[in-house]
Amino acid sequence: MNGENSEQEKTGRMSPTDNELMEQVRDGKVEKLAILFERYQTMLYNFFVRLTGNRAASEDLVQEVFIRILKYRAGYQGESRFNVWMFQIARNAHIDFLRKKKGELALDDQFTEEPGREPLPAERYEAGQEAALVRMALDKLPVKKRELLVLFRFQDLKLREIAELLDCQVGTIKVQVHRALKDLSRIYLELQGGKAS
Amino acid sequence: MSCERIQDRFADYLTGDLDEGARREVRDHISSCAPCRAEIENLTAIWAKLGVLPQEQPSGDLRHRFYSMLEGYKSEVKSAGKTSARARILSGWKEWFTFRRPAFAAAFSTFLLLLGIGTGWLVSGSGGKSARLSSLQKEVQDMRQTVALSLLSRPSASERLQGVSYSTALRNPSAKTLTALVNTLNTDPNPNVRLAAVEALYLFRNQPGVMDSLTSSLAIQSSPLVQVTLIDLLVEIREGRAAEALKALIKNEKLHPEVKKLAEQGIKQLI
Repeated sequence: MNGENSEQEKTGRMSPTDNELMEQVRDGKVEKLAILFERYQTMLYNFFVRLTGNRAASEDLVQEVFIRILKYRAGYQGESRFNVWMFQIARNAHIDFLRKKKGELALDDQFTEEPGREPLPAERYEAGQEAALVRMALDKLPVKKRELLVLFRFQDLKLREIAELLDCQVGTIKVQVHRALKDLSRIYLELQGGKAS
Repeated sequence: MSCERIQDRFADYLTGDLDEGARREVRDHISSCAPCRAEIENLTAIWAKLGVLPQEQPSGDLRHRFYSMLEGYKSEVKSAGKTSARARILSGWKEWFTFRRPAFAAAFSTFLLLLGIGTGWLVSGSGGKSARLSSLQKEVQDMRQTVALSLLSRPSASERLQGVSYSTALRNPSAKTLTALVNTLNTDPNPNVRLAAVEALYLFRNQPGVMDSLTSSLAIQSSPLVQVTLIDLLVEIREGRAAEALKALIKNEKLHPEVKKLAEQGIKQLI
């Protein structure tokens, strides 16, 4: 298990690794969750903002993830890196959020449907700029592909960890990442063409 | 090497996870294969573009909500622990009182009868029962004050938060506890603890000096979150003197524009 924590060890030998902290939380020292919250609140928040485009909902989802971590702490095994386990919980919280939002709509339909999102205030200032275009392109991807790219590009997860998270073979993930990036590139170029004309 | 096998490596190529040998193979292949070269240029470009998305910061409210949730969870766990301990003791006693032998039952009934007569005699003979009860209540209150005061002076923010929440359970906080809460409000390094202190003091707003302390704290606070909570609260309870404090506040050039807007609205409501 220690080998899994080499990433956290970069932060200093004296500071406890994520896995050590979560094991303490599991064993009753729930106040240690505060350290994990401070380490991951921004990363999780950005994960949800990039998925939902909704800041208020993203804060609710981060809170929900930490509530679930406490709820399921007894089941924490510490076999993989803490953040793989945490993102598993985050993905489930997001799926439940989509379910609640769309009510009766089948989950598969949501994954192929173009998401509607509120524009982030920052976008008003970014209008016409590269970041706004990238965000628009990302939003036009189906949720499944967007989730994969957000996990792969921003969440500091290795391909094999994403494979573990999504319960797939590493080879499958590589192919999916490749396809999702190709789609994103195509959408981006289309949008760019649209803007230019 | 086939195009398909090379493309399998693109994901690792982008993240820099290929070893030198595999990188060289990719480079060799794309130098002679135009479609793969175009493909990887495309992917590298969009990969780099994703990097321009800014990192957003959650609001301070998220942190406040998390710490309140954690405190709530801790006290729930603690009280559940106590209840289960109590349940164990009770079930032990229940076993004791399960009469299997009539002789024991008869002896125990007699004991209860005598106890009843004895208690009746004692109560009728003494007028100090209510005095004893109120002294007991006072003792509990004093103990709570001591615990709250001690928690408020701890180095850990979560313990200080607990101290604030402990103090809110007091019926009549002592001047010392109120001073400690006001000190926390004005000097605690953690905005979440200061925020909790605002809410605790709001509960004690009828105690002497509390409204003055809340009003004058406006000039001291630097966190927009605490400022907003204070303004909301002062406007809600229509504290007349707050208008002057709000006027002084909006003169501060460093004030967050949202807080300034709220303060201006507040002044209109108070005048």
